[in-house]
Amino acid sequence: MGAEVITVSTDTKFVHLAWQREEKMLENVKYPMGSDPTGKVSRMFGVYDEETGLALRGTFIISPEGKLLNSEVNYYNMGRNVDELMRKFKANLHLAKHTDEGCPSKWKEEGDKTLKPSAKMVGKVYEAYEGK
Amino acid sequence: MGENCCGLTVGQMVPDFKLETFDPSKGDFGEVSLETLKANKKWTILFFYPADFTFV
Repeated sequence: MGAEVITVSTDTKFVHLAWQREEKMLENVKYPMGSDPTGKVSRMFGVYDEETGLALRGTFIISPEGKLLNSEVNYYNMGRNVDELMRKFKANLHLAKHTDEGCPSKWKEEGDKTLKPSAKMVGKVYEAYEGK
Repeated sequence: MGENCCGLTVGQMVPDFKLETFDPSKGDFGEVSLETLKANKKWTILFFYPADFTFV
């Protein structure tokens, strides 16, 4: 998909290995499983829960230049949707090539309508978006 | 780590970090480093979750 996906928890790499080998749902998951037992990297991204020593469900997209572009954190009881993540990632790829455009909320994939912010568009986003 | 020490917000540069890994594609331990990913012009997606042996 053009990005390095790294899953991260505060478990050690040994536990990662044991879980990956035991859990059938992970049979086809091939992403490197990062280990952050001290919570250093989790703290850096603001997802370390000091009460539990665990990392919250945070998803972060970092550009090849090292800039943080997206940040999303869910509480313990909500899983994440891969479609949502892919939409954001694809939008980043598009915007990296088309720096004068913006991807509106309905943008899903390459070819979908984008917007070019300008003085002309102020108060006329509907017309720009609907092409009227 | 200066001003980007904790609770990074979007638009900030991420300080270099390293993580030890278990890499299922190689069946072996390894390491990822943001510095290396940047040198290889890679996009990086970090996916934090609370604990192994639970749902992700």
